[in-house]
Order: sequence, then C-alpha cells, then structure tokens
Amino acid sequence: MENDIVISVKNLHKSFKLPTEKAWGLKQAIFNRLKGIKGYKEQKVLNGISFDIHRNEFVGIVGRNGSGKSTLLKTLAKIYFPEKGSIEINGSLIPFIELGVGFNPDLTGRENVYLNGALLGFSNKEMDTMYDEIVDFAELHDFMDQKLKNYSSGMQVRLAFSIAIRAKGDILLLDEVLAVGDAAFQQKCNDYFAKIKGNQTVILVTHSMENIEKYCTRAILIENGKIMLNDKPEKVAQAYRKLWS
Amino acid sequence: MAIPNFAYKGNRVLLKELTKTDFKLRYQGSVLGYLWALLRPLMMFAILYVVFGKLLRFGGDIPHYPVYLLAGTTLWSFFTECTNQGIQAIVQRGELIRKICFPKYIVVVSATLTAVINLLINLVVVIIFALLDGITPSWTWLLTPLVLFEFYCLALGISFLLGAINVKYRDITSIWDVLTQALFYAVPIIYPISMIASTSDIAAKIILLNPIAQIIQDVRYLLITTETVTTWNYVGTGNFVIKLIPIAITAILLIWGSWYFRKKSKKFAEEI
Repeated sequence: MENDIVISVKNLHKSFKLPTEKAWGLKQAIFNRLKGIKGYKEQKVLNGISFDIHRNEFVGIVGRNGSGKSTLLKTLAKIYFPEKGSIEINGSLIPFIELGVGFNPDLTGRENVYLNGALLGFSNKEMDTMYDEIVDFAELHDFMDQKLKNYSSGMQVRLAFSIAIRAKGDILLLDEVLAVGDAAFQQKCNDYFAKIKGNQTVILVTHSMENIEKYCTRAILIENGKIMLNDKPEKVAQAYRKLWS
Repeated sequence: MAIPNFAYKGNRVLLKELTKTDFKLRYQGSVLGYLWALLRPLMMFAILYVVFGKLLRFGGDIPHYPVYLLAGTTLWSFFTECTNQGIQAIVQRGELIRKICFPKYIVVVSATLTAVINLLINLVVVIIFALLDGITPSWTWLLTPLVLFEFYCLALGISFLLGAINVKYRDITSIWDVLTQALFYAVPIIYPISMIASTSDIAAKIILLNPIAQIIQDVRYLLITTETVTTWNYVGTGNFVIKLIPIAITAILLIWGSWYFRKKSKKFAEEI
C-alpha cells in the first residue's frame, strides 16, 4: 500500500441470503432441508467495488436507496465480512453507522459517553481527555448527570453527534448523520466540517448534494452495487440528479 | 474475531462497562434494588425448605439440612440465571451488533458475569447461615473457588453454544426453559442422593456423572459436611477415569461452545 493511502478496497463482493418464506424456527428449517428447499434467495448487494482513499480526503458516498451504500460502510466498519475481495485499512477507524448506538435511556449522559467510548474501543482514561470537549461541543453541561430519558430527542442527538466528531480516530465514517439539532447546532456542525475538511479523513454517506458540494473533496456514486462514478463532487452531484431525470 | 483476548485493553474496558451497566440496570426502578439479588434466592429457598424439608421431610439424616439445601438452591439459581442471560445476550444486544464492530464474546461474558456477582453475594449469605448453624470453618472452604470456576466454565460453554444457535433459531430459549426444569429434578438439590441410591444404585451413580450434580455435591462437601456423597467418593470405585467424566463434559462443552460461537459470530450482524 502506498504511504498516502489509508483505505484500499479491491473488488469487494457481498450478498445476503434473504429468506423466501418464514424460515425461522427449527421446524421450518428441518422441513426445508428434507424437501430440499433452500429457503432463501441470494441478493447481490456489492458487486465488485474498488477504490482508494488518501489521507485527509473528505469522500462522499451517494446513491439511491438500496444501492449498497450502507452495506459498503458496514463492511468497511468490519460489521459485515466481505465475501470476496479485500479491504485494507491503515490507521484507526471510528464508525458511526448510526448516532447513539448503545445509548441507554436509564443511564446518565456521562455514563452513556463512557459506554459509547468503550464500544468504540477507547479506555476510560482516553475518554477522560475527550470528555470536556464532547460536553462543550454538545453544550449540555447542566444535563450530564441527568438520565438520558429526560433529554429531548434533539439533545440526545447532539450528545451522540459530539461523541462522533470528537472521538479521536484517523478515519471517520459517517452515515446520514448531518441533519441534527436546531439551527444553531447545525451552524456549529457546518463550521466544524468546514474546518476539518482537508485535515481529517472522512467518509460520509448522504443524500444531500448540497453537503457533498460543500464539504467533500471527492465523491463516489454507487448504483446497483457498482461504482458508477468516482470523481469531483460537482460532477457526481450532477450525475446523481440525473438518475431521476 | 480473534481468540478471546482479554489482554487487549479495549476489550477489558468494554467488558467492564457492559457488566457495570447490566448490573446497574438490573434492579433499577425497584424499591429494594440490589437487595433483590439476595431476597429472590432466599425466598425460593424458604419455599423449598417448608415444602420438602418440613412437610415431606426430605432432609432425613443429613446434618445441617437447611444450609445444605440453601447451598444447593443458591448454586442452581446461579446456573439458570447465568445460562439464561448468556444464551439471550447476543439477541438482546442485537442492536449493537448490527451497528458496531466489537468482539461478540464480550457480550456473553458480561451477561454471565452479572450472575457471578450475584452468586458471590449469595455465597456470603450461605456462609453466614453455615456459621449460625454451628458449622466450623475448615481449610476445605478454600477449595470452593476451584469448583465454582468449573461451574462458571460449564455455564459459559453452554451459553456460547446455545447462544450462537439462538441467533438463528429462537426456539432454543424455550427448549432451554424446559430443559432446565427437567435438570432441576435430575440433580440432587432438594432430595438427598441417598434417597435415589436406596432404590437404584446405578441411577444414583449416573446422576452424579452430571457435572451440575458433581459441582453441587462438591461444594456441599467442602463447605458443609464431609458426609456428603460426591462423585469422587461414590462413583467408579477403583476406576479413576469414570470419576473424571463430569470434568470432561465441562471441558468439552466449553471448548466446543467457544469454537462454535467463534465460527458463527462472523455472521451474527447479518442474521440477528
């Protein structure tokens, strides 16, 4: 791998076995096996994807619903195992497939931050150093010892988002997480993304072409599990809009 | 997933945080809180003691029968709690597993550790009852942790094996429910093993080859009275290999369970 390349994906394939009929339960499984019914059909989701991502690139991934974006992200995050092909990652990768994964309504804000950190692989000591920044960014100083169930939904998302962008990793993976909080918080996030553009490797999945053109240094358009276009954000945004025309 | 690697700091932190959360949330919203960890097994013991100790007089000639029974029910509660939590752990944490990548065994171990904490608290009660009943502490008490470790290995092995199957076939939860009911009567918890031995010697010996029976009798032998019938002093006289069957079953279940869990864990995120 070149020194500059932090993620290298080569010929990635992934398919899922979708149950055709109710294939859960032991009884059905035995019946199916006896009758020689497979009980599932193969759905190809990723069909030979290859790309490289260089250090400090801000790459947007776009595509229709069901085109394979999220599967690609989950495979990058090692939640799914690739069927064929390879993924090489150079550095630590912080995935945010969804904001606030593992958040527990019965724990306080503070406890949730540490639990979330542990899930991302940070020790309590490392979280100690990030904690103040996270709370500052979320602007939730007075609420950290309150249980999460007493937060408004906007506050919950703000806390989750702050962990996402304050967690110190080499590569940040974000899935559809930009439109959070009220106008003031939105502005803060915009400023933050403008600031890290070019200083941090980010992969962002989004449907907002406005964000693609604003933050990304490059974009990838995925259609039917294949890369349709891998180019400058403006060109990809144009191609994306054309999908419907 | 690599081999369970507790040396890796991140895994230990996650295990600690998840166990802490489980334990903290278990009794949240109840007035008596953690006290329930003690009260539930004690109440179960009280019921069994009245029915089998006082009404049916199962105790017979066993010295310290109440403590003897309490030790049995405490260990049994641990086994059912540990396996039930362990088997369901992966499915219950499905949301996490679908969204984030971390070693899956941590979820199972943290779910079972809550049961271990409860067991340790309850054993303190058993020891207090033992002292009140006039049992003098002996050096054999120090050997109990060894037997409890075997018990944890057994419960963990079962949790890994059935927990991994449970991801695809949820029937496992119901099957295990019935199976534990049957096991409760197949193990000398409420009845003394001598009761079985008086009608069929071979049945008593087979019962003692069950690792759960071996463990419960061993703990009673070590903590309460050396008059306890154990696998070691009753089964396979002269043939040491037969005595090792319960330990072999435990080892096989742990190794097989971990191996199977590791093999299947790659697909958990897709199958939950």
